[in-house]
Amino acid sequence: MATVTVRRRELDFWEKTYVKEVGRGLAITFRQLTKNLLTREDVATREYPEVRRKYPERFRGRHRLMRREDGTVRCVACMLCSTACPANCIHIVAGEHDDDRVEKYPVSFEIDLLVCIYCGFCEEACPCDAIRMDSGKHPLPSFTRDMQRIRKHQLLEEGGLSVAEQGGRSK
Amino acid sequence: MPTLKIDGREVTVERGTTILDAARKVGIDIPTFCYHPGLTKPANCRMCLVDTNKAPKPTPACYAECMDDMEVSTQSPEIVKTRKAVLEFILLNHPVDCPICDQAGECVLQDHYFKYSATPSRLAHKKVHKPKVKRLGPDVVLDAERCILCTRCIRFCDEVAKETQLEIVNRGEHSEITTFPGKQLDNPYAGNTVDICPVGALTSVDFRFRTRVWMLQSSDGVCPECSRGCKTRTDVFENVPRRTKPLHNPRVNDWWMCDEGRLAYRDYQALPRMEGPAAQVEGKRRVVTNVEAIEAAALELGAVAQRQKIGVVATPWFTNEDAWLVAELLRGPLAGARIYLGGRADGTADEILRMADKNPNRAGVEAIFEAAGLKAAPLSALDTAGLEALLVFGDQHALDEAGLEKLERVPRRVVVSAFQTPLWKMATTFLPARTHFEKVGTFTNFEGMVQRLEQAVNAAASCKSYGYYAMKLAELMGHTISFVRPEDVFAEVARTVPGFAGMTWQGLAPYGMKLGEGVAPAEPPTLPQAAPPAAPTEA
Repeated sequence: MATVTVRRRELDFWEKTYVKEVGRGLAITFRQLTKNLLTREDVATREYPEVRRKYPERFRGRHRLMRREDGTVRCVACMLCSTACPANCIHIVAGEHDDDRVEKYPVSFEIDLLVCIYCGFCEEACPCDAIRMDSGKHPLPSFTRDMQRIRKHQLLEEGGLSVAEQGGRSK
Repeated sequence: MPTLKIDGREVTVERGTTILDAARKVGIDIPTFCYHPGLTKPANCRMCLVDTNKAPKPTPACYAECMDDMEVSTQSPEIVKTRKAVLEFILLNHPVDCPICDQAGECVLQDHYFKYSATPSRLAHKKVHKPKVKRLGPDVVLDAERCILCTRCIRFCDEVAKETQLEIVNRGEHSEITTFPGKQLDNPYAGNTVDICPVGALTSVDFRFRTRVWMLQSSDGVCPECSRGCKTRTDVFENVPRRTKPLHNPRVNDWWMCDEGRLAYRDYQALPRMEGPAAQVEGKRRVVTNVEAIEAAALELGAVAQRQKIGVVATPWFTNEDAWLVAELLRGPLAGARIYLGGRADGTADEILRMADKNPNRAGVEAIFEAAGLKAAPLSALDTAGLEALLVFGDQHALDEAGLEKLERVPRRVVVSAFQTPLWKMATTFLPARTHFEKVGTFTNFEGMVQRLEQAVNAAASCKSYGYYAMKLAELMGHTISFVRPEDVFAEVARTVPGFAGMTWQGLAPYGMKLGEGVAPAEPPTLPQAAPPAAPTEA
């Protein structure tokens, strides 16, 4: 392949001092400064955390576990989410429920948010509408790694009511 | 010898062969539920219906015998439709709770549904509800809704376990498996009903909800709980055995195993493992490295000049390879030592599978020791008078307080074992061993059937097999034997022990070989022994 060499135009002495360009830049800065002092409209920066950005509706945020009408967790510990999880961050221990129509429930349900890649496969795999990522919140910073392993009770705190037909339970 | 055509393929079979067997012989798969090769055939599920030119209506292939000039069709449009109808009928009241069903992933109904039906239910009414959690016995739970009434479990109890405990009550869609009044499903083989249940109706209390089956990794093994040596499969999740299932071996256990052996894996998790190799450092026992512990053991044994003052306790829990390497140690550097063969005390036996000898490899160890010219006394005849050093292999010995005291009186005690037992406590030098889940090798059962054992779980780095320690001790005591893989040791066993002659590692798959059955090469190999290849696994 032939090489084409394009020679740049040499800068003259006046241009090499950059006085003109610096002046142009400062002009923009001062124009914006004056504008921001006079009006609050059209400000690019936000005063986080008081002012927050609105996330799109389908934003995948921190997980939550939904509840049934009677307040119990909808999850039946089928482990399809942890099976679907490409990062292997969901750890469930199943136990036997007293109500034999429910049979199985998660004794512990942990998600390691440091490992999670927020792909949303878990909520797609869930046959019970139990796990959702629509909390609209992103993971919080923490002092220890262990604090990023969110437990069942934390997941349930965010969780709301879901009346979707429970998967696996016959009518 | 009838000759028939199945889907246009001609096959000649023995008189009395069923259409199903004939079809499987030529590689045609006919779906079944109630048929099990180890049980009688009730032909009640109707899944195996095929068209023949000998009957006006579809015929159950599992039951009907082959006839001359028979033409069987397993794929005709009528049969495809019939199968769909049968599946729709079986699934009519089935709860389809696959996500929480333990059988999901290994469920015959699930597989057949996706393969042969895959149409949604047309039922407009409510499904019939039955008990979801019904305890049938100590280890078996019934979900009556999932049951397809194939009666495999009933037939198993009647025909194999020889204890009639299950029956069907009620009629039609209200039919339900239950135990006879006042009885429980508590025969010593009850766990097999869970294995043969084609759906998730019977689940094991032990395994229920523990793990999803698709997360398990399986490896073939041999049950070490008695001298029968049933062929088994160990299912492992996160390096922990989760369940043991029997595998088909027509020469040992058919399709079955006893509950004792099935649930024994739990004991190995419950027992505390050792902290690491230990040896005397400045008069106190400390945890040391593996190499240091082996050296300390060699020094302790080497300090006794007269070999007859060394006592060795061998164990029938050796694999054949372990036994051969230990025999090398006892024949070479420790020649003249007093040898005892320990092991667990006898237990219950029955006519079906369970043997009184609760050790896996007594026959193999005895054969190998005999070939090496070693004489081992039983541990009950233990006499430690005059002994100056002890080398104890294994942790499952029938030793009472008096026996332990006798051992403790010996000044130098080298113990090789997997668990923290009284023996571990009194050891002056301790070498951590592997359990049968952690090693590769072969076991010889009471009839002389040699079967292969695969490694199911990874062992801690400091745990080595008995044979490895024997090899290293022999090396430090001036008798170099060097093997890397158990296969190489087995080749040596086959070369030097008469009963094993002609056996090969590959030849042991899938059902094993009987002692004396191997065909010895016409001429003994004259080539010099090749250097063992440097494979990553250790002997």
